Amino acid sequence: MHFLKKFSVIIAISIFLLLDLPFLGGVSNAAEYPLTVIDETGTAVTLSKEPQRFISTAPSNTEILFALGLGEKVVGVTNYCNYPEAAKHVEKIGEISPLNYEKIISLKPDLVLAYGGFQLKDIPRLRELGIIAIVLEPLNLKDTFKSIKMIATACDISDKGSILVDNLTKRVDYIKSKVSNIPISSQPKVFVGGTSETIFTPGAGTLFNELITMAGGQNIAASLSFWKKISPEFVAEAEPDIIIIPIGVMNQEESSKIKEIVSERNGWSNIPAIKNKKIYIVNEDLFYRAVPRMVDGLELLYKIFHE
Amino acid sequence: MNKSLVKNTGFINWKKKLILIVLFGSLIVLVIGIFCLNFGVVTITPRDIMHLLINGTQDKTTNLIIWQLRAPRIVLGALTGAALSTVGGAFQGILRNPLADPYILGVSAGAALGACIGIAFQYITGYAFASYLPLFAFLGAMLSLYLVYKSSKISYSANSTGLLLSGVAITFLFSALITVLLALSRRELHSMIFWLMGDLSAANWKKISIILLPVFIGNAMLFFSALDLNALSLGEEEALHLGINTGRLRIRIFLIGSVIIATVVSFTGLIGFVGLIIPHIARLLVGPDHRIMLPIAAFLGAVFLILCDILARILLAPTEIPIGAITAIVGVPLFIYLLRRKNQ
Repeated sequence: MHFLKKFSVIIAISIFLLLDLPFLGGVSNAAEYPLTVIDETGTAVTLSKEPQRFISTAPSNTEILFALGLGEKVVGVTNYCNYPEAAKHVEKIGEISPLNYEKIISLKPDLVLAYGGFQLKDIPRLRELGIIAIVLEPLNLKDTFKSIKMIATACDISDKGSILVDNLTKRVDYIKSKVSNIPISSQPKVFVGGTSETIFTPGAGTLFNELITMAGGQNIAASLSFWKKISPEFVAEAEPDIIIIPIGVMNQEESSKIKEIVSERNGWSNIPAIKNKKIYIVNEDLFYRAVPRMVDGLELLYKIFHE
Repeated sequence: MNKSLVKNTGFINWKKKLILIVLFGSLIVLVIGIFCLNFGVVTITPRDIMHLLINGTQDKTTNLIIWQLRAPRIVLGALTGAALSTVGGAFQGILRNPLADPYILGVSAGAALGACIGIAFQYITGYAFASYLPLFAFLGAMLSLYLVYKSSKISYSANSTGLLLSGVAITFLFSALITVLLALSRRELHSMIFWLMGDLSAANWKKISIILLPVFIGNAMLFFSALDLNALSLGEEEALHLGINTGRLRIRIFLIGSVIIATVVSFTGLIGFVGLIIPHIARLLVGPDHRIMLPIAAFLGAVFLILCDILARILLAPTEIPIGAITAIVGVPLFIYLLRRKNQ
């Protein structure tokens, strides 16, 4: 009995150590610095030592850093980094573009996690100034997982990256398996709308479209590519069963107001989603950002569509 | 005989004045430039800066911020301001139109279209072309220059209305094409819009070394046409009577000015308003003689843009305000004040 107790303590300690290894930069599978990763721009980025001071130039990068438990080491974020709560208190580097190089340099980062897209033109200058920058540009689920793993590798916590990605993959697979049993005919037609008169909706190639499809819905704009401006007629003709309205900050009063505005649009009274009051206001960050939280978005969509 | 005498005395007077203007102007730009090294989102004490300028040694970050960020930005601002103002002044001269600015003859629209195509191209081909953006802008500007030149020649043997209308027409055409590109764009939209707003933040010494010569040589060439511009300001016919081929003069100024502007905006994007208002301010201060007015406009433009850029950087730091907004917000009240004072 005594022996068993001792044994279990040893087991507990070793499990604890094993779990903690990635946090401590464990000895067993420590990466050798200098370490080189190939980023999304195809650039080989070499890190001479384990980075201790991070700057994130995009909300998505910030979320990934915090999800990997590197939040403590983040010394600069953009004006738009609002998640998690702790990210709001990190020093601000300003806008997403053009980057404020002076502010970035003054924070003495070991590693800047930049975003492709509209930051592309800023990246050469950043590197010219001697800043080590890894450029990420996840546009879908798969790329996001790749980005997470890339950051984890660069920071010598690949175990932790794998655990995070495995967990997310499991949740995604669960939704996928449930959706695979739902015939196309009983999948709802979905329209993603906004609050303004001009309608921009995500088509094929957007993260939103991917999540809708994965959650077992049929995006009415799937035949278009990327974000497109569409006419109200297009929506009326498509007769969506569900309307999703992604929005930033919201409260109960605003939500009902928005639903009212959308319902009263000219020529939309025949749309099933409006007749059946199937308008849902959701947090846009779950669908626009390629971050671990988008799996929350996926689960939310599944709930809306099928529960 | 009589005429050359008049010209000669005027020449001596003017030469002295010019030397004074250039010396004094350069000194002021230099002093303001050094003074402005103090401003930025990061606090660096004037003492540290003086230490850095004199002894050269400081910690690595300070060194980088002063020499690689603030200094090139100030120099680029000065060059851009000087170029836009001189060309604006010269264009107002050849078109005999107070509303003319460096962008009115279509070169900016061409540069903008070129840049937008370049940005779209970047997204299609991947990342390899990221640093060739200025080249696209420059080629676009040259295309619009060629089209304006050709169409003005066809329509009205290059009189000022012909040139002006060709410029405006090409500007509209290119702006429409930009709008189409913006409507079709997806991820590249932001980059295009930022480019169109103008931005000095990407300044570096390499860019400055590329635009330095065109700006200096171009401005000098404009300056040597100052007497002809003076004659033209008396009126088209009067200029012809003084033996000036006004058509050729106009085309010459148009080509030189457009090449200067194309080179500059390819790197900075479209910074508005400076080229319209600074020549007027110069005229209000020193009168309409282009020999004096153009160099004064160059120095005023340089100082004005340096100061506007400082405001753009520090007002909402660390967020930067687009410089084109600052130039208008600061410039309009200043301009109206001068205009009122002059009328009183």
